[in-house]
Amino acid sequence: MKRALVVQLTRFGDLVQTKRLILTLAGRGLEVHLCIDRSLKYLAEVLYPKCIIHALIAHGTGISGDGTNSTLPINYKIFQTLKDINFEYIYNLNFSPMNYMLGSLFDPAKIIGHKRVNGQPIRDPWIEFGFRIATERRNNINIVDYWAALSPEMIPASEVNSRATPKGGGIGVVMAGRESRRSLPIEVLAPLILAARSVNKNKKIVLLGSNSEKDTGEKLLAKFPPSIAKNIENLAGKTGWKDLANTVSNLDLLMTPDTGTMHLSAHLGTPVLGFFLSSAWCFETGPYGEGHTIIQAGFDCSPCVESQPCYNDLKCLKPFKEQSMARFIATRKPDHLPQGLSVFESTCDFLGTQYVLKAGQDITSERRTQLRNFIGCHLGMLDIGEYGPFPELAEKFYKEKDWITGSRL
Amino acid sequence: MLPLYGGSLPVGRFCVAALKEMGHLVETFEAPEFYDAYNALDNLKVTSDRHQYLQNSFLQVLSQAVLAKTETFEPDMVLSMAQAPLTHQALKRLKRDKVVTAMWFVEDFRLFTYWQSFAPFYDIFAVIQKEHFFDKLKEIGVDNTLYLPLAAHPDFHHPLNIGVIDARKYGADVSFMGAGYPNRRMAFRKLIHHGLKIWGSEWEGDHVLDKYIQLGGRRVTSEECVKIFNATKINLNLHSSINVDELVSGGDFINPRTFELAACGAFQLVDRRSLMAEAFSDGELAHFDNLEDLDEKIGYFLAHPNERDLYAEKGRKRVLADHTYVIRMQTLIDFTMDKIDDWPKERTSKELFTPDFPEELKSEVMNLIEKLGLPLNVSFEDLVSAIRLQQGELNPLDTAILFLDEWKKIYKR
Repeated sequence: MKRALVVQLTRFGDLVQTKRLILTLAGRGLEVHLCIDRSLKYLAEVLYPKCIIHALIAHGTGISGDGTNSTLPINYKIFQTLKDINFEYIYNLNFSPMNYMLGSLFDPAKIIGHKRVNGQPIRDPWIEFGFRIATERRNNINIVDYWAALSPEMIPASEVNSRATPKGGGIGVVMAGRESRRSLPIEVLAPLILAARSVNKNKKIVLLGSNSEKDTGEKLLAKFPPSIAKNIENLAGKTGWKDLANTVSNLDLLMTPDTGTMHLSAHLGTPVLGFFLSSAWCFETGPYGEGHTIIQAGFDCSPCVESQPCYNDLKCLKPFKEQSMARFIATRKPDHLPQGLSVFESTCDFLGTQYVLKAGQDITSERRTQLRNFIGCHLGMLDIGEYGPFPELAEKFYKEKDWITGSRL
Repeated sequence: MLPLYGGSLPVGRFCVAALKEMGHLVETFEAPEFYDAYNALDNLKVTSDRHQYLQNSFLQVLSQAVLAKTETFEPDMVLSMAQAPLTHQALKRLKRDKVVTAMWFVEDFRLFTYWQSFAPFYDIFAVIQKEHFFDKLKEIGVDNTLYLPLAAHPDFHHPLNIGVIDARKYGADVSFMGAGYPNRRMAFRKLIHHGLKIWGSEWEGDHVLDKYIQLGGRRVTSEECVKIFNATKINLNLHSSINVDELVSGGDFINPRTFELAACGAFQLVDRRSLMAEAFSDGELAHFDNLEDLDEKIGYFLAHPNERDLYAEKGRKRVLADHTYVIRMQTLIDFTMDKIDDWPKERTSKELFTPDFPEELKSEVMNLIEKLGLPLNVSFEDLVSAIRLQQGELNPLDTAILFLDEWKKIYKR
């Protein structure tokens, strides 16, 4: 059996979002190996039971010192193992110096994604194309599809995750993501939880998060009257990967910012009600598959850049604070949706997961459709004779060197 | 920084080899790889202004490549050979970025007069001549000038046991290796009765010498030179001159061949140069003063092999003691330390074998250090740089060290 190695060295959410690529490779009859940070080993086993996992140290959390007695010996062993396996393909996914160095182990001709050829970091033509498309973030494609398209014969988007349906176990709430600016503060979140609970049959609520969100969970609990609080369980910091997956798989709804748990929810077919603001943009990193809802803040500065400070007084947070917001959550009636927000529902098309406007506005919808068709033709999924040509997009996103050097992106 | 082509190219390569031998980390800008593309511009058949524009643009790209490489490699010094493709703009940029630049101008300043244009842009300007050149450089504001004569690289230039086949191909009683300058053409016409073999290029159009030109007059590689030197009884070494009237020009600088022949333990008859007395003592080189003298000495030394051997032995000993590229590079470095404040900049380097270094990996890392030719007390940073210079697929240990380096940078450890 031929083997493929997928190197995914980033975080929880990205590991889940690699699913379409992994399923595609398995669908091509390849034995799929996955190289990840060791903190995600058990999660990877839960997500991808058929994959062979190689867990190294790529993250800094929990490692003291300069890594000489941890990162070096542990990774050396993993690299020895990887070197001994005859991989047909290596999918090196992250634009990170660590990935480039890891790529040095292999024949560059076998590496797809990020490679290092005689010391020179080189990006796969599709990755480079993806970087160009990402300059138009509002119309960008889902990162799941971006990674999956590195392989031919992508499985249909609708087969990646089953359509999301309520499971009867109440509502889950993820309190914060990695970036605090992308999450709703608890005083904003509390009334929205109440509103969602009011229309859900099972009144149980579970609060989810890492150990660092434990206190936030307690503070959030204190916002509710005792009659409601008694039905709320604060599981922050208490769940291992398996427990987390079990809990999320039984929920009716997961209320969350753009988080790893959100992607896990999509993986498990549990409906997501996502709050996307600041740098989060549902077309890029929204939950994958059909049946999820995203409330997306859309301002002139959206989506912003995570690493840069906000000079606009977090204006994208303000509509979530409006009183009518809770009413919208309860009724889902567009009239109650505060200005500045839009509601999108996830669906699948020829290219991947797409978001369809349900309330509010989507000013770049036409451009996005055009861009998706352009990408579809580029990838050979659509017939350019029928859908194209796209001269303006081609001029913007194709570079001279693409055809001058004869590379097929 | 190697030049695109030319005589200073092998000198540049020997500098690289010497610096590596001295334990420095050297990254080479392989300009010759770009030379074919540059020459292809000559076949365009376009107007002259377009042609000029394209050539300049091409050289701008090369300069940009050097800047990018400098940015990545962060060298303590950018050392250029004469004709290195660095534009004024790039040199200004390096100065602004406080990257110390040095040029070893291994050309005759009277013939290759372009130095006036670029010398002021270098921090250190090393030359192979003294008289007038230092003054002229000072006049245009170049202060850090260093006399740095050429040299040999004993790992490369050494005595060889020449086999029968090579002896037939490269061997001769008398031979000359070098380009066909006018003074040489004139001289050698009168020496053909010694069964002269002439190696090297630019000998075209000389009906008398035509049949003595070897390998069709193509450029001879450095490896071939060593074979020729070793297989020849008398190597003629006549310094070039464009002056036909004057066979022995009596110029100042010593050509590389003088050092290379001596390092090979080969016998040479060489014309006197004004700077030779401080480089070689009596009995270390056999000289000639004019054509008649040369003709006569060829006959004499052909008949006296023991005397040839004596010169060759003494000459080689002197070169090994005083005229190697390692010594030249050390002189350049010492000079730079003297002239440039706080050079080289202190690097924050960390000890490789810290107390918590895993015991089980120590011997493997030691083997790696040995394989890379690094000192045993190499710092982590220098080990990483040396691994980075390797080509092709890396082994797991190399990869693990590079990975650790990136990991440390990302998490600031």
